[in-house]
Amino acid sequence: MRATAARGAGDHGRGAERDLERAVGRILMTATYVGVGLIAAGAILMVLEGVSPLDPAPSLSPADAAAALVALRPEGPLAVGLVVLIASPTLRVVSSLVGYLEARERRMALVSLAILAVIAASVVLATGQAA
Amino acid sequence: MTVGLAMIAGGFAAGVFGSLLGLGGGILIVPLVTLGFGLPLREAVGVSLVSVIATSGASAGVYLGRHVANLRLGMSLELFTATGALAGALVAFAVPDRVLAGLFAALLLYVALSMIRTLRSGTAADPNATMPAPGDRSPERLRPDDPPAEWSSRPAVSTVADRLSGPGYRVRNLPLGIAGSLFAGVISALLGIGGGIVKVPVMHLGMGVPMRVATATSNLMIGITATSSAIIYFLRGGIDAYVAGPTVLGVFVGATVGSRSAHRVDARLLRVLFVAVLLYTAWQMIGRALA
Repeated sequence: MRATAARGAGDHGRGAERDLERAVGRILMTATYVGVGLIAAGAILMVLEGVSPLDPAPSLSPADAAAALVALRPEGPLAVGLVVLIASPTLRVVSSLVGYLEARERRMALVSLAILAVIAASVVLATGQAA
Repeated sequence: MTVGLAMIAGGFAAGVFGSLLGLGGGILIVPLVTLGFGLPLREAVGVSLVSVIATSGASAGVYLGRHVANLRLGMSLELFTATGALAGALVAFAVPDRVLAGLFAALLLYVALSMIRTLRSGTAADPNATMPAPGDRSPERLRPDDPPAEWSSRPAVSTVADRLSGPGYRVRNLPLGIAGSLFAGVISALLGIGGGIVKVPVMHLGMGVPMRVATATSNLMIGITATSSAIIYFLRGGIDAYVAGPTVLGVFVGATVGSRSAHRVDARLLRVLFVAVLLYTAWQMIGRALA
């Protein structure tokens, strides 16, 4: 009886884990496809407008990138697509964090937070050095 | 326009080739961008990192949906690959281009020699170990040569390694996994590769993780590993959007096509051809390092 109950609890835990894996996988794939889709649009605009990859790409602020995206200039979708693509694994970690917090898995929630701290350190160090 | 199309085609070829051989495209993108289009090596590494994020994102999503990748183990180890990658990216901006070219040549020679050994022993890797095609819903099973199952469900009281284990296998030697992950992160950031050539053997041979799970989990980890260094390359202007756009598009489409046609290709012939490409590219990189 106790063994059956333990197995039942284990099955339930494994089921919840599989749900989390499925949800996290779906979020990761969606973000990747959105990023690649934007980059594909940018690459097509490059070809249509005769922009060579060997021309230096303009450095854009977030506002410039949004304006270029709306104006359908190649650098707009390319810049936004690159940001979405680079952010997609981080989105996967954030969604895992939410899932682990909901499941009260403190240890894995802490691991997720530590990974996000490393990503934040990358941003801080990069912007600090660039400045 | 011609250069843009050539870059898409080159990225496509790198994606197909890398996917068919289970190496990812990273090892081919850097030589393509540097030797093929004459761009600086550091810029090529940044572009390669974004390309591997794209291909690993699509395939890791499929692996997670099929429950082949071990999310707990992957997240625990990617904390260390990300830390290694952060350190590697900071070092990459301080290291001369020639040193990076020398390191890349050493990597190419290592992979070429590993492939020659595989060809001689006649144990060519299963081409199905490559990236799954996005949207592919075929079921996954553990391979017959995977380590025997030691247990099939988690005990009530468990160690950290137990908690990271999966159905049918038990994780061991966590310190080795941590050290291997740190090293994989550093070389990923320095050379623009996913780091699977380190992580997969460490997980499979050193930690007792079945080959398919190790491949899928390594693929999952590539995203965060490459992200922590790609952020530094991107924010410091090391990723040119006009170079990255066509290359990433080509690699992504190529990797998808390659993974769908893996079963129709003579893997041995492909490996012989790939060894020749690797040795030629290594020679070119050595020339660049000594120039």
